[in-house]
Amino acid sequence: MKKLFDRVFDGADEMFALAQKALDETIAELGENAPVSMPNTAYHLANHLTYFKRQIMSLKDLRAAFEEDKTWNIHEPDLGSVFKTGYATFAAAEVIEACKYAKSDDPYNGEYHGHLSDAEVRELGVPLVTNDIPGFVVIHGKAPTDEEALELIKGYQARGIFVFLLGEVIAQARRLNMNMGFPVRVVAVGPDVWQVAHIISFVNRAAMIFGAVQPGERWDFDDYTFWRIHAFVNAFDPVSDLVVSCGAGAIAMGFPVITDDPKDMWPVPKSIIIQPDTKDFIETSLEARDIKLKITKVDIPVSYSSAFEGEIVRRDATRIDFDGSRFDSLEWVRMREIHEIEDHAIEIIGPDVEDFEEGERVGLGIVAEVAGKNMLTDFEPVIERNFHNFINCAEGIMHTGQRDLIRIRISKDAFNAGFRLRHIGEIVYAKIKSEYEALIDKCQVKIYTKSEDLKELRTEINKVFDTRDARLASMTDETVDVFYNCILCQSFSPAHVCIVTPERLGLCGAVSWLDAKAMNQLDPNGACQVVTKERVVDEHVGIWEDVNENVAAQSHGNLQQVTLYSIMVDPMTSCGCFECICGIETYSNGVVIVNREHTGITPLGMSFSEMASMTGGGVQTPGFMGHGKHFIASKKFMRAEGGPARIVWMPKALKELVAPKLNATAKELYGIDNYVDMIGDETITDDPEVLMNHLSEKGHPVLSMEPLF
Amino acid sequence: MKPELNFTTIEQMEADTAKLHELACEACTETWADRNEKQTPHCKFGEEGICCRICSMGPCRITAKAPRGICGADAHTIAGRHYLRMAAAGSAAHSDHAREIAHTLLATKPEGPYIIRDEAKLKRVATEWDIAFEDRDVYDVAHDVALFALNEFGKPFGTQVLLKRATKERQELWEREEIAPRAIDREISSSLHMSHMGNTADAEVLVRQSLRVGMADGWGGSMIGTDFTDIMFGTPTARDTEGNLGVLEKDMVNIVVHGHDPAFSEMVVTVADLPELQSYCKSKGIKGINLVGLCCTANEVAMRHGVRMVGNFLQQENVVLTGVVDMMCVDVQCIFPSLGPLTECFHTRFVTTSPICRIPGSEYIKFVPETALEQAKQIVKDAIDNFANRDESRAWIPTSKENATVGYPNEQIIKELDGVTNSHVEERGSYRPVIDAIKSGVLRGAVAMVGCNNPKVRPDYSHIEIMRRLLEHDILVITTGCAAQAATKAGLMSKAAKEVCGDGLKRVCTLVGIPPILHMGACVDISRMMLLASDIAEQWEVPITSIPVVGCAPEWMSEKAVAIANYVVATGIDTYLGIEPQVKGSEQMMQLITEGTRKISGAGYNINTDPDELVQAIIAGIEKKRDLLGI
Repeated sequence: MKKLFDRVFDGADEMFALAQKALDETIAELGENAPVSMPNTAYHLANHLTYFKRQIMSLKDLRAAFEEDKTWNIHEPDLGSVFKTGYATFAAAEVIEACKYAKSDDPYNGEYHGHLSDAEVRELGVPLVTNDIPGFVVIHGKAPTDEEALELIKGYQARGIFVFLLGEVIAQARRLNMNMGFPVRVVAVGPDVWQVAHIISFVNRAAMIFGAVQPGERWDFDDYTFWRIHAFVNAFDPVSDLVVSCGAGAIAMGFPVITDDPKDMWPVPKSIIIQPDTKDFIETSLEARDIKLKITKVDIPVSYSSAFEGEIVRRDATRIDFDGSRFDSLEWVRMREIHEIEDHAIEIIGPDVEDFEEGERVGLGIVAEVAGKNMLTDFEPVIERNFHNFINCAEGIMHTGQRDLIRIRISKDAFNAGFRLRHIGEIVYAKIKSEYEALIDKCQVKIYTKSEDLKELRTEINKVFDTRDARLASMTDETVDVFYNCILCQSFSPAHVCIVTPERLGLCGAVSWLDAKAMNQLDPNGACQVVTKERVVDEHVGIWEDVNENVAAQSHGNLQQVTLYSIMVDPMTSCGCFECICGIETYSNGVVIVNREHTGITPLGMSFSEMASMTGGGVQTPGFMGHGKHFIASKKFMRAEGGPARIVWMPKALKELVAPKLNATAKELYGIDNYVDMIGDETITDDPEVLMNHLSEKGHPVLSMEPLF
Repeated sequence: MKPELNFTTIEQMEADTAKLHELACEACTETWADRNEKQTPHCKFGEEGICCRICSMGPCRITAKAPRGICGADAHTIAGRHYLRMAAAGSAAHSDHAREIAHTLLATKPEGPYIIRDEAKLKRVATEWDIAFEDRDVYDVAHDVALFALNEFGKPFGTQVLLKRATKERQELWEREEIAPRAIDREISSSLHMSHMGNTADAEVLVRQSLRVGMADGWGGSMIGTDFTDIMFGTPTARDTEGNLGVLEKDMVNIVVHGHDPAFSEMVVTVADLPELQSYCKSKGIKGINLVGLCCTANEVAMRHGVRMVGNFLQQENVVLTGVVDMMCVDVQCIFPSLGPLTECFHTRFVTTSPICRIPGSEYIKFVPETALEQAKQIVKDAIDNFANRDESRAWIPTSKENATVGYPNEQIIKELDGVTNSHVEERGSYRPVIDAIKSGVLRGAVAMVGCNNPKVRPDYSHIEIMRRLLEHDILVITTGCAAQAATKAGLMSKAAKEVCGDGLKRVCTLVGIPPILHMGACVDISRMMLLASDIAEQWEVPITSIPVVGCAPEWMSEKAVAIANYVVATGIDTYLGIEPQVKGSEQMMQLITEGTRKISGAGYNINTDPDELVQAIIAGIEKKRDLLGI
């Protein structure tokens, strides 16, 4: 039997030979001064940055780096050398891929995903910390049959596991019309094993972004990936030496390999597992990586998984379209007395899906009536806002919007599988009972489809919304007694702490003050704990002694001070999964804000990815701050530096989103009407000098403000 | 960030020793180091094993001019007889200890003080010996088991019953080579008889008998001792503790239990926690009782109760020199007679408890099962009373101490390994995970580090240095006895020590959740290691001599160690020694113990007094075994 370590060494040599060839050919074609980079990343060739601290810009740099890669391809019979050789194999694979990207920004023409952007890394921050994505699988090779490939992929998808595909399995899934893509968490990375470089780059960037791991710090990377990235590999028979050498790198990172190929394969506990029965890959793999699934048993005829959250049901695939923009529709969580509720009662009031024409548009009302000793009316909107997530996780069901502006589509496939309105009730019931166990003792769901009922309900609920809005408006940082912290992200970003106040929601955008309060009620020792604000140092800029003490304790001494309303002095840190990042724009003395979805350049000369890479991982970076979208219109947004009047540029889509509230805030603070129009965007310019002209033209208030420095 | 490991260095340990020496008064400054100096150079004839004192015609010493003794015995005969007598004495020590334990098992009763704690193990042993278990009173079974074992010491026919635990290959080999031990006492007494004046003169036969008398220990007395200790006091499980002189407490009553037989120390541990003694202690205005262990007694109580370990063999005088030991109570083996005069120099009470070990300058309290509890209480009470006599001006406790996770007998190792099996493809309850790790190369092999301290080499240095080097080379270390305590003092028995390991061993420690050095117990527990190696060979389906597992005793000194080395070699495990056995005066004997035994059992000694060269030899030996297996 060929020794395991020898297989790694031989495989690595193969990869190096391929890389050498690719590099020589590319340099011959483009010249050594040709630039080389991956699109939409601030981390250069992230694997080389990780291992060798190299910032590769040109093919010349790449050639020099490749020479260093070779020094890690050491063939000594000990695991330390084998791990290093595994990493060297990834580096060589990255060289091969970089050569392709040197020639084209999109070498795979959309056929394969190839490189994953920084924004994609950051997008996964929240689902990772909430365990909605409990792990990642890299599937390589060819499954015994197409059907089995599909079954395996869907099996992972149904469990929320993020799936990366390499090699022939992609074609197998395509033959059976598998819906793939980043939003549904099944990514066809590439046709060859060396595209593994993109997956490793993705993981290494996660360590840098969320874990603040510094380039070149091998121990820290290994520690981060081993403990915090729950990834593993499924490698189908035949497993070549080349794949084994990549496996060595994966195992070095803590990712076990599960294979059905017994030939020259050496089992290693929790690292190489030979499972001849490919049908048992999923359970074997989850056990190997100690992945515990957060399972809510939902009694519905379609799959239910966070992987389907991003799934889109297109018009022509729709069986029924509940359209809140044209017909009265609503969703409502309503607190009742305990005796008024029959637990798990689901009532359909009006016709069901089959009673409507195919593709028909109608209205829908979902009312969840809940009761529990610890329930408060304040928590009604907290729970209600999660309907989007609850309902969206069902395969073939799409949900958008909230309150009385919702849209729910049920696909033909879901309908044919037996999905009916009762199942929406089942989902809402099961999720409310499991997620809010400590608050809700009983829950019943009523679903309305008759237009007269819906009209009446909508009038009623609008009164409720008015009451809620008035209550929210009255809740300011000054009127509440306590803030909350949120350390949900510490599983990924161990040094970061959010302080959540009524006017400053968590920077991920997912945790408001009420959410934090509810989470604290659910588990007083959990991720959100009370932070007192009794010892004021400076209420205007947002400094409290007790807040500082809490931050110091919860960040394990990493942070000593935060100024809640400043981006210049001790700004709040971020984990890395923030919705937006703002950074100072020196010409105007203002700030530029860019949201994660925007891939273009900003007047700072940097993209979202590049700005985002300046901060994150729980590190304070004055001048840069991550935050939630809804914080922009807050009166507390950089109040220490003069407030939202500092905003000079935002992407147009973000401007539109925040305009109503931001205009209202500006009116109140500065007496300015239509303030948002004064702010630049990409349709106006991404050049700082042109932006200055725009600001002068519009009379933007920033021009008369104190310099930031 | 990689955690910084500020483990206590050998230099710091030596500085502690030097300071204690410095602080001591003139009368008590004489420690082993001073006496060692006075004894050096040692008698060359004695050192080389060629001074015969067996009859009163002599002593006869072998020189170039006088190559034979008066009776005609040559260097080979004299060295061989001496060697066999050492092995026999070692077997006698371990086995007599075991016999005492068997008597204690016979004295167990439901109301105590000695009770059955591990019924499952009792059942396993009873079943092995065809003693009915079901529907019987546990104590009746225990007594039958004890009597059965006591019979193993003197049974007129047959060989040791526990040999059946070995692989088939070994059992056949032992039978074929006539080294399967008969009754334990028979082997010891035959050894003395064979080496009597006028008996066996053939060195090869003497070496063969050394293997056999060693086997009577390892697969007889020691194995019985270990099993019965587990049955009465519980099979150890993993637990955290600390080790080195820093575990002594300035403001507490310090009681040291020292020796080897846990029947005595278990009682002291039990009573120290009693509310009546705790409150008696408080009534004297003292913070509490600090019970600590020394030598192998420390290993026994640390593994079962987490009692902290104050040190190993050559630390025993240091412990007293701190001036804060209120009670030093000892049972058997490895007790310095110097403790008598030394404790007289301090307020320390020195109590001997066994008729086997009587020492001038000690108070003798004969410990018997019937009154054990009351006697233990009295000892603790006396210690509390003695606290007031402490002379604070002479008290100094070094701060050195390290964390350790101890308690890895075979059962615990299997339990830990179960944690890394995958229930979809692998079965639990086996050593398969460690076998796979070795086969694949993740681990290169395993070394059993055992044995004492010996001033012939820099004490503890060889243990610590060799262990460190093995860990760096992805070689798992299992350990017992004074070697275990050396590892503890150097921090290597802590889970944090995975950071000093190569990537392979580090990964194994991380995945399994173990320290890189597994503490298997006292020196009597080396029998556990024999079972571990046998079961690994069995499950691997290769002869035990093939597996890349070896033994190493870099600082051995006692006759027990000679018995151990013999049974380890007879079991088929190569043994690396850092101290030369006293047979150097005979070329034939040197050849027999290093090479000759290989023809009998397939294993032998590799001797090197330089720890650096010794560890290189171990690594090379392991790699050679790997090559032969094609892994």
